[in-house]
Amino acid sequence: MDLDTIISESKKIENSRLREWKDGGGKVVGYICISTPVELLEAAGVLPYRIRALGNADTEMADVRLSRFNCSFCRSCLELGLNGTYDFLDGIIETNGCDHLRGMVENWQHARPSEFFHYLRVPHINDADSKNFFEDELKRYRQAIEEHFDVSLLEEDIWVQARRQERVRDKLRTVYEMRERTGPAFTGAEVLSIFLLATAIPAKDLEEILDSVIEERKDHKISDYRARLLFAGSATDEVEFVKAIESMGGLVVTDALCFGSRAFWPQSAGGESEDPIKSLARTYLDNLLCPRMFDDFKNRRKYVDEAIKRANVDGVVLVHNKFCDVHGVDNVQLRMGLEKQGVPVLQLEKDYGAKADIGRMKTRVQAFLERIGDTK
Amino acid sequence: MSKLMPEGLIDRAAIQLSLFDRLPDPLLSGAGSALNSLHLLPDEVLSATQALWAPRNRETGVKFLKMVARWVVEARKAAKEGKKVILVPFNFPVEVIHAFEGAFPLTSEVLSTLGVVMLRGQGERYWDMAMGLGLPDHLCSSNTIELGSMLGSDDFKPQAIVSSAPGGCDVNAKIHEFVANYYDIPHFFLQKPPEASGRGRELYSVYMRNLISQLEDFIGEKLSEERLRELTENTNRATELYHELWDLHKAAPSPVPNVFSLFIYGARFTMWGRKEATELMEQMVKVAKQRLAEKAYPAEKEVARCLWAYTSYYYDFLGFFNWMEEQGYTHLGDGLDLYFPQVIDTSSMDTMIEGFAESAWNMPMTRQVGAETMSKQWTEDVIYAARELNADCVIYCGHHSCKQTWSVVSILREELMKRAGLPLLILQGDSWIKRMTPMSVIQQEIDEFVKNVVVKKGTKKRRPRKRRKPGTGDEKETG
Repeated sequence: MDLDTIISESKKIENSRLREWKDGGGKVVGYICISTPVELLEAAGVLPYRIRALGNADTEMADVRLSRFNCSFCRSCLELGLNGTYDFLDGIIETNGCDHLRGMVENWQHARPSEFFHYLRVPHINDADSKNFFEDELKRYRQAIEEHFDVSLLEEDIWVQARRQERVRDKLRTVYEMRERTGPAFTGAEVLSIFLLATAIPAKDLEEILDSVIEERKDHKISDYRARLLFAGSATDEVEFVKAIESMGGLVVTDALCFGSRAFWPQSAGGESEDPIKSLARTYLDNLLCPRMFDDFKNRRKYVDEAIKRANVDGVVLVHNKFCDVHGVDNVQLRMGLEKQGVPVLQLEKDYGAKADIGRMKTRVQAFLERIGDTK
Repeated sequence: MSKLMPEGLIDRAAIQLSLFDRLPDPLLSGAGSALNSLHLLPDEVLSATQALWAPRNRETGVKFLKMVARWVVEARKAAKEGKKVILVPFNFPVEVIHAFEGAFPLTSEVLSTLGVVMLRGQGERYWDMAMGLGLPDHLCSSNTIELGSMLGSDDFKPQAIVSSAPGGCDVNAKIHEFVANYYDIPHFFLQKPPEASGRGRELYSVYMRNLISQLEDFIGEKLSEERLRELTENTNRATELYHELWDLHKAAPSPVPNVFSLFIYGARFTMWGRKEATELMEQMVKVAKQRLAEKAYPAEKEVARCLWAYTSYYYDFLGFFNWMEEQGYTHLGDGLDLYFPQVIDTSSMDTMIEGFAESAWNMPMTRQVGAETMSKQWTEDVIYAARELNADCVIYCGHHSCKQTWSVVSILREELMKRAGLPLLILQGDSWIKRMTPMSVIQQEIDEFVKNVVVKKGTKKRRPRKRRKPGTGDEKETG
């Protein structure tokens, strides 16, 4: 699959590979948060699908349930759940990502319950007791999958999927190395499209697609940009929004997004000599670089600092959807710290999917790029 | 000017509170009435004092003020003596900190409320200070007013912060984290596990024990069993009084003045375990019993018994608590009153610490929100309270930053109607900041709801409403 096809397929909630999978009798389970170990679903032969809204701005039905004080990304996802767009899902894994997300899933299940629903409980602090709890939680998650899909998840099957995920993460890291290099091989919008498709297609297709796109762009070098930007903040699956930033001349050369590097950067912990569940629990909880975690800001900050250095970034764009508390506050902490370090920062608060916001955002980005100056 | 007059919320409020602390009760009662009648206080402050000094509230209002004054005065004294003043959110049981000789708790949300009702400008300048740092305007004013004062002025600063909101409220947890990071203040946690049944509850006890051990290290003091027992006996007495008040609330017309709802959790969030809180609870029971015997009620008749599902409004006591009961609208309490305390076994250190964990588990918000679902326990508690207290309706104040309850209030509305036949009024505003929705608008909305929905509900048969279920096109349900 070439990059143009990837971009075009990533614009659909239900892409063609997913459709083929479903037509062949395959099962698909939606998950919302990067704290969900997809390896267990894959080991059960189920396609894990990262729920997204792709910039959908229509929230008419969702607004009956969630209020205007709830994040518009969650309202958009709920809308797609309520209007039947997500009826192809055979189940949903909920995680306690944030208050908005929980309300979204709860209302979704209240109004249109899924055939299979499992709540994966994720602690907010990563201490020894919470780690044990999470390990136990993954055992329950495994059991729920086994019972519902009538499969047995053997340790070796889980390890096979864990290793496959490792290879996928390696390839995604390669894509990032290529975008972060001096002559970037991809735009930010292109990488977001790749990531979106990568979390919505069968695992068997994924490695091949990533290999082909890496091959296709190995010698490609983008040079017509004014500044190199790092993009971080709330759940952002809006390719058009990233395009709007880039249309002003700011190339997004790296990110710290959950629809981006934060989902795959972490390396798995442990080797095959240990229980795979224990290893997954550690991998996912230790590397959950999300502001919904507490007592961990230093790690989140370090992660951004490292990306800035790695990608030789000129400026940082921090975005949060209106009413997103966790990123809204974390972005202020990040901005203060980065500015103290001399890194130019633009902090944006926006409504998800709102076209009316695009013009305003572009003006802010334009002014920010002026502030940074022509760095090339 | 700034050198003579303090700028910070706590420092400014402490000037008035130190005076209240020193004045004997009768003198304070008289002085308050005189200040009110001579209109010597700014209008916005007058609302709170007039509400507290209304004849039915005066004696209790004075006790409440004295308790709060003692709380703030002692905190400042503790800091001067080198003790650790620890900032906690409202959903953390203050008795855990009171249990230490060398520490004293201050509660963010109570301090914000004091700023709103006692200071000229109602604390809005502190909110603006927080906004000035670029913090989002959808934060919770209940703690951001106080924390804004810490961030934007030379106000009194705590030596540590305990956060018990992770798992219960993102916005509360995040702003406390921000302030701890901003000033590099030690930050301790009591997270709510994401599960409410046995396993989660057991883990919560582990978290509580871990926290106590961290606090012992930080404060440099081992908990004393004797001190703990004395404190727990006081909390047990306050618990009994809480349940007496609960039962008194069931009478119609309600003998419990509306503002007592605030006094009950005011005691819970500041001095629980201390004699001042217990005495305030005793005073409330005494007044309510007396009013029951006299069949006293502020209006000609009790028109509607209203339970508030989450918070109330705090920027205008007179316009809210007193206005409601003068219309015959009883305020049966709100979500912050729903902490259902239990008597703690004082036989050993272990049983008492376990009792603390249970108290913390049942603190408002911790108890109702999070874990398995955002709506289930909240809905159960509201329906239970509405039934027990014979509510005619439920009102959700719609404090704009309460995203967790806003995200499931539609479920509460459906369940209330389906299971208890009770209508839910959903308001919108900010419980601590008047500029979001003025009290006159809140009053009008309550008035219209009670007159046109609640009262008529009792006289007219409501016809089930038919409506389509989203997405199916053909299913119908009754409304």
